[in-house]
Amino acid sequence: MTTTQQPAELAWLDDITMTELERNPYPVYERLRREAPLAFVPVLGAYVASTAEICREVATSASFEAIIPPAGGRTFGHPAIIGVNGDVHADLRSMVEPALQPMEVDRYVDELVRPIARQYLEKFEDAGRAELVADFCEPVSVRSLGDLLGLESVDSETLRRWFAQLNRSFTNAAVDENGDFANPEGFLEGDQAKAEIRAVVDPLIDHWIEHPGDSAISHWLHDGMPEGQTRDREYVYPTIYVYLLGAMQEPGHGAASTIAGLFTRPAQLEEVVDDPTLIPRAVSEGMRWTSPIWSATARISKEPVHLAGLDLPAGTVILQSYGSANHDTGLYDAPSEYDLHRPPLPHLAFGAGNHACAGIYYANHVMRIALEELFEAIPNLERDTEHDVDFWGWGFRGPTSLHVTWEV
Amino acid sequence: MPRVSVGPSSVEAPPGQSVLESLLRAGVWMPSSCNQGTCGTCKVRVLSGAVDHRTSPLETLPQEQRDAGLALACQSHPAGDVEVAPAGPASAGAGEVRTHPLRDLVARITGLEDVATDTRRVLLSLDEPLAFSAGQYVELEVPRTGERRQFSLANTATEDRVLELHVRRVPGGAATDRWLFADAACGDEVRLTGPLGDFRAPEEEADDGAPLVLLGGGTGLAPLLGIVRTALERHPDREAVLYHGVRYASDLYDTERLVDLEQRFASFRFVPVLSREETRAYRTGYVTDAFLADVASARGWTGWLCGSPALVESGAAAFKRRRMAPRLIHREKFTAAVPAAPGSPSETLTSPLTRTGA
Repeated sequence: MTTTQQPAELAWLDDITMTELERNPYPVYERLRREAPLAFVPVLGAYVASTAEICREVATSASFEAIIPPAGGRTFGHPAIIGVNGDVHADLRSMVEPALQPMEVDRYVDELVRPIARQYLEKFEDAGRAELVADFCEPVSVRSLGDLLGLESVDSETLRRWFAQLNRSFTNAAVDENGDFANPEGFLEGDQAKAEIRAVVDPLIDHWIEHPGDSAISHWLHDGMPEGQTRDREYVYPTIYVYLLGAMQEPGHGAASTIAGLFTRPAQLEEVVDDPTLIPRAVSEGMRWTSPIWSATARISKEPVHLAGLDLPAGTVILQSYGSANHDTGLYDAPSEYDLHRPPLPHLAFGAGNHACAGIYYANHVMRIALEELFEAIPNLERDTEHDVDFWGWGFRGPTSLHVTWEV
Repeated sequence: MPRVSVGPSSVEAPPGQSVLESLLRAGVWMPSSCNQGTCGTCKVRVLSGAVDHRTSPLETLPQEQRDAGLALACQSHPAGDVEVAPAGPASAGAGEVRTHPLRDLVARITGLEDVATDTRRVLLSLDEPLAFSAGQYVELEVPRTGERRQFSLANTATEDRVLELHVRRVPGGAATDRWLFADAACGDEVRLTGPLGDFRAPEEEADDGAPLVLLGGGTGLAPLLGIVRTALERHPDREAVLYHGVRYASDLYDTERLVDLEQRFASFRFVPVLSREETRAYRTGYVTDAFLADVASARGWTGWLCGSPALVESGAAAFKRRRMAPRLIHREKFTAAVPAAPGSPSETLTSPLTRTGA
């Protein structure tokens, strides 16, 4: 555990609470970017990188390697693809990447996602009102990935509940003054989700070991292995959990945030509805505006480093705050505003370096197809002004609900 | 001679022709609409070689886009061999689909008929047929001025020997007040270029017979007449409704023709709407409101809008309110003519509406 003596002017960092970060992390991170773009935040028990420059440097520096944030490690176990390095990381990337290569995604993504988007739209498109997070964005995301992974037998409600439980466990990051988890009971619901997952997935794995199929998880077991051998399930499970949390949740978050952002700019919503070729750009700005993986990945120094004016010993953990980096006023004018037409600079919503998200291409197309079908079916979509749009989350962030209405 | 390449196609680019013109003249499809640099539909990325942007307006193609290698195909000219790729919306099929080649023709005026207040039907006879799609437009050379004006065709694709234009007089307008409403006479020769534009009836095999609604303002009726007749001839039982919006009853024209069409096609309705006059015979108000009052749901319908920018905007909003998919909404805006050169007569600034004259 790294501990540090704070300079007096950073005493305010001692007062930061998880609850305020989860409710709205932007004010704290805005101040961090201004006053201490790399700083030790006691409640998180780690350094925090909050600007685009430092996040990018840490993500791509040879002096750092990946580490899963502690609460994430407690939730997923080892070896999760986001927290390993070297040969194990290379093997896990080679395991997941074939199905996520652009040419491969192009082959299946439309046939996979479009009927699913249609299926959920049919349930409510003539109702005149809906709550898009629960009725559309999340179900389309989990059903698409569930079917791709080979979890057709798991209903969408269960997949949504699993990612929510894993999310709260993964981001149960608060530590006490000794560096111990402040709320150990917060991991129980993650453990419960994992027990359920194993009860469902173990028999599937048993089957796929004997009868290789076309599902992603079946390929994970067999691909690149000598004839007659499969990857050990204990080796694969942490990465299955990574998928069942982030990969399940974030396309839903990203799509919902994009719609919420467009609702703040009605003329831009109209433009996107009129010209669906603008949807990828709208999604990209949505991902910048409210980055779904807001602060859920970390790096650890392999050697003593000098960074942002600080001398850090080997073994220093830095939490990468991509959601904050994407609001860096050094790069973006009025970053807290959604603006389809801002210069399309690269953002850090998918991370950087050799741990950058493996599912960028896939996720972008899931979001694109979902929004294409939504605007095609309901071109007169409006925000239901009787409900506020609340966002939640520090590790992972998105609207908790998005009520809409339209004339039918 | 320099060559222009897009996708699998490569064509010669004779001097004096824009990138777009070279492609269209060779029958190679490139997304394009206004052909005067204002809509941005024909925006391309220059992949190799260079272009001269010429008269490309900064509003449509800002400096940073030029620096990023974008160009307007309709305004830019190749500076040597150039390869481009469409960068605008609706780029599918560019360079692959063959389109009706753009041609220069000499026509003869064979009809000049007053059909409503300040409104004339002009018939132009051709020596040889012109291939086009219903809804497209042609550019006429205005005699003695060096200017060109765009006029929509009211024809169906089979009416390819005598082109029908509807022209509204614009006070002081070079093409209307001072030519087609002045000394133009039957027998006169007219130079024209066409066909142009992306407001056009779909190919027959892509037309599934879905219902359609058409809203036209004033002489914006012209392309709708070609499109609706094409649609009904292909699928005589399809539901179709055409709203013609004008200010006064005396602005209406072709009502008999449309009533006759109603009698021939049971599922076709023609609805004239007057915005400035109450009568017993016609509805009062705006065409968009009439559509909203009449049609409860336009899901699965195709929509066609032709008229002033205000009509096109409000029409698209009304269509979406009735849940028409935006990709099925087709728009033809009659927009202000761009002055040919700085310092050209000020009437071209106030003049107005291309595709019905000026």
